[in-house]
Amino acid sequence: MAISHEPESLSAWTAARRGRGLFHLTRRTRRQLLRGGVACLAFVGLNALLAALFGVNILNYTIAGLSVSSIVIVAAIGLTLIYGIRGFANFAHGDIMALGAYVALFVNLNGLSLIWGTIAAFAVLALFGILFEVVIFSRLEGRGPVPPIVASVGLGLIIQNGIRTLATTRPWLYPVPAYSDIPIAPGLGVNPIRHILTPAIGLLFVVSAHVLLTYTNLGKAMRATADNLELAKATGIDTKRVTYATWAISCSFASTAGILLGLTSFLQPEMGLNILLLIFAAVIVGGIGSPWGAVLGGLVIGLSQEMSAPLFIWLGQPDVIGLVNASAYKVAIPFIILIVVLILRPWGIAGRPPAFVSRVYFVERITRAILSGTTKAEQTDGNDGG
Amino acid sequence: MNASAGTPPILSVQRVRKSFGGIRAVDDCSLSINAQSITGLIGPNGAGKSTLFNIIAGLYRPDAGAIWLAGRRIDGLPPYEIVHRGLTKTWQIPHELRNLTVLENLLLGAKRNSGEHLLNVLLQWAAVRSDEKQWRARAREVLRLTELDGLANEHAKALSGGQKKLLELARALMTDPAIVLLDEPVAGVNPRLAGNLMDLIERLRRGGRTFFLIEHDMNVVMNRCDRVIVMHQGNAIAEGTPASVKANPLVIESYLGG
Amino acid sequence: MAIDTGILINVGFYVSFSIVFAMLALGFNLQWGYTGLFNAGIAGFFLIGAYTATIAITPPTPPSNGYPGHLGGYELPIAAGAILAMLVSGLAAIAIALPTLRLRADYLAIATLAFAEVVRTVAINLEPVTAGTIGIVSIPRLFTFSGTNAALFTTGTVVGVGAVIILVLFVVLHFILESPWGRVLRAVREDEEATMAVGKNTFWFKLQVFAIGGALMGLAGWFFVMALPYLEPTGDFAPAVTFSIWVMVIVGGAGNLKGSIAGAFLVYGLEWSSVQLKDFAPDALSPSIPYIRLMIVGALLIVLIIYRPEGILREKKRVLR
Repeated sequence: MAISHEPESLSAWTAARRGRGLFHLTRRTRRQLLRGGVACLAFVGLNALLAALFGVNILNYTIAGLSVSSIVIVAAIGLTLIYGIRGFANFAHGDIMALGAYVALFVNLNGLSLIWGTIAAFAVLALFGILFEVVIFSRLEGRGPVPPIVASVGLGLIIQNGIRTLATTRPWLYPVPAYSDIPIAPGLGVNPIRHILTPAIGLLFVVSAHVLLTYTNLGKAMRATADNLELAKATGIDTKRVTYATWAISCSFASTAGILLGLTSFLQPEMGLNILLLIFAAVIVGGIGSPWGAVLGGLVIGLSQEMSAPLFIWLGQPDVIGLVNASAYKVAIPFIILIVVLILRPWGIAGRPPAFVSRVYFVERITRAILSGTTKAEQTDGNDGG
Repeated sequence: MNASAGTPPILSVQRVRKSFGGIRAVDDCSLSINAQSITGLIGPNGAGKSTLFNIIAGLYRPDAGAIWLAGRRIDGLPPYEIVHRGLTKTWQIPHELRNLTVLENLLLGAKRNSGEHLLNVLLQWAAVRSDEKQWRARAREVLRLTELDGLANEHAKALSGGQKKLLELARALMTDPAIVLLDEPVAGVNPRLAGNLMDLIERLRRGGRTFFLIEHDMNVVMNRCDRVIVMHQGNAIAEGTPASVKANPLVIESYLGG
Repeated sequence: MAIDTGILINVGFYVSFSIVFAMLALGFNLQWGYTGLFNAGIAGFFLIGAYTATIAITPPTPPSNGYPGHLGGYELPIAAGAILAMLVSGLAAIAIALPTLRLRADYLAIATLAFAEVVRTVAINLEPVTAGTIGIVSIPRLFTFSGTNAALFTTGTVVGVGAVIILVLFVVLHFILESPWGRVLRAVREDEEATMAVGKNTFWFKLQVFAIGGALMGLAGWFFVMALPYLEPTGDFAPAVTFSIWVMVIVGGAGNLKGSIAGAFLVYGLEWSSVQLKDFAPDALSPSIPYIRLMIVGALLIVLIIYRPEGILREKKRVLR
């Protein structure tokens, strides 16, 4: 499902896939699945080892990590889709999540169940997404990566403070009963909402996204547009419609992630900004433009953050370093991973290194120079994950 | 591949290779350029000519091979160091600094301007001012040479396409290069201007500089180059005088078939 | 003579904080307006400067009843605090720049934003050093006065010192930016690859700029605690501060030093006047005024970046003789 970087024309690409059954796996997909399988086994092995060394209750952190990962993944898929199609980092994405959470709260407080709230938020945010594109971001097309970032920061300010104005800054809780943990082993508890519902919804959204992008015409058009905008236009894809659809999907995914976040903790106006960097980290670690990369990145980020907590707690013990507020430092881990990835492998796990790895990663410059007037062999896919 | 009697080539490319994502842009390419020559590099689209220029100039690192400039290896060096050693490349599509004036564009090429070091700016202002004055005088000379003198204080973005090409050359000349790599110096330039530009290059060559240019304009190649090298699919497949290259069956086949 | 010193002090605060933001804006303008380095971690360098200065100049404060205490006790002179703040922030800038300057603009933004958040998280949690969210109080002031008009004179001297510093900064920055060195910066902003190909070591220039900008932001941190002798990490060093500086520089014009200073006074003026207005607004509306102001700032950012990205005041054309 990774956004393809093979620089072929759309017709060649679809022709290659034509005649393949639903479950035919290309060699590349097989390789990826193998790698994924090995990674999963390694992860399970690691957890088994930890449980053997420190007792079963250390797995609490792993479970917490999966919960955080689920939220991050749903949001990250939305972010990475916009990053791939519009080419910029949407700094308002966190606040869009918050907006979704608050819309659901509003619906809920007016008598309907949270499920209706989620659906309502989904629809409302989809519309908002299209609105954002029409009013703001369509006017910034072709201006490089910085102006849309600045505009998205402005948008985030508007959303966050609009929420503050309308809903005040007090923390809200969804009126959902607090379920107690289900014990599955001594010391190991599983919370129905945090550890069962959240990952379940996360999985649902991941599968939906995969189905959308792989098997629907809209999805294929989205991938083609993200891959190469000019080529997509030339082959007759209505890139405007595709862009609107992407914004709608991105924002509605964000809204659901926001609701999950509100469910697992609480609602406050800053909730989006607080988690924004985690989502950026997931997108970059996973590879910009790649929804499966967002899944991988989300897993890496969520799990690393939560599973580092026991390490910090150990450091916080008086006879080790005596680190005060030790477990709070776990939030630094994803940021450090992000910085390391940016330094060593900016195109992420699922991305491909930009073809022209020149001294300066100024992809825009290079694409501009190349795409105007030279031919196929010297041409490369500039819209890649780098 | 033979240097003229006794003198070693000023630029020597040995078995350079560069791939991009599975495509071999430059494939085991070797060539050499003699000092004070005007050498043309031709080949069908996609032959790897611009890529080779970028590699020589240090903008890309070759996957394999070596490049020698005046007897010293330059592959792997950063572009600014290569310019320092006497090799400057111009761009096929002019990379003028749009919001700087023409004069400022040229001044940027000054190789040793004490004013570019912050400590000098703060502590040695007299030296900075005199250096700057000298470089401005030199820049005005170069502007005269390239017939851009009326435009010294215009923003570079206001220039026409042909003038931007001239600016590229002028800026390269400011770096006082021993050898200049020109990527399509007269493409899109009107014939009169193109002729003047090539005349200028000829004059500069007589003054001691070497020119290596990529061109598609066969007029320029046939009439103005001492030697022509032909690239095809990343490799140098032929070289020699313009007439001999024109008659070379390999070359004809590459243009027709490639 | 019964001058309402309260109003004067209030205005004094406005000017002092505007000067703080002006310093931050100058630093950011140097990095982004002149050289094209999109720094989203301004708050981080600001914080490092503030805490470095504070730790350097405060008297010893061991933990006591309910107060975690903080690192300090060196009781260095205030000027030394300023120099240390600039030094440490500048070094931090170099440390961040070395791995990240080669990244393209949006990656640099994310990396610097992450850096600022890490720094803020550390400041919040490393209580033995920073006193955490409770904050550090009684930071030594530039000049101390006694008597009835002490507060007025204190604020007045802060404003005076600040004005002098800003003037000096402006002159020095103007000088170095109009030099050949500054020209290379502008070239890097226009087209870094072309500048490299003309023989400039662009990385080295970008590093210098990032360090100087970082040092300026550190100085702003020092002046911040001079203006307000209380330091805590949550509100004043949040990403919102970074975004405010963006607004100030965009309003004032990229590459325009005077514009950055004006932009700082203008945009902070919005905030300050919204706080003043709070007293006059109807009760229902008044708690929302700061948020409405921020929404206006957000809308301003969007409108400016779409229609007038070069700012309200333009960078002037340089005619050389």
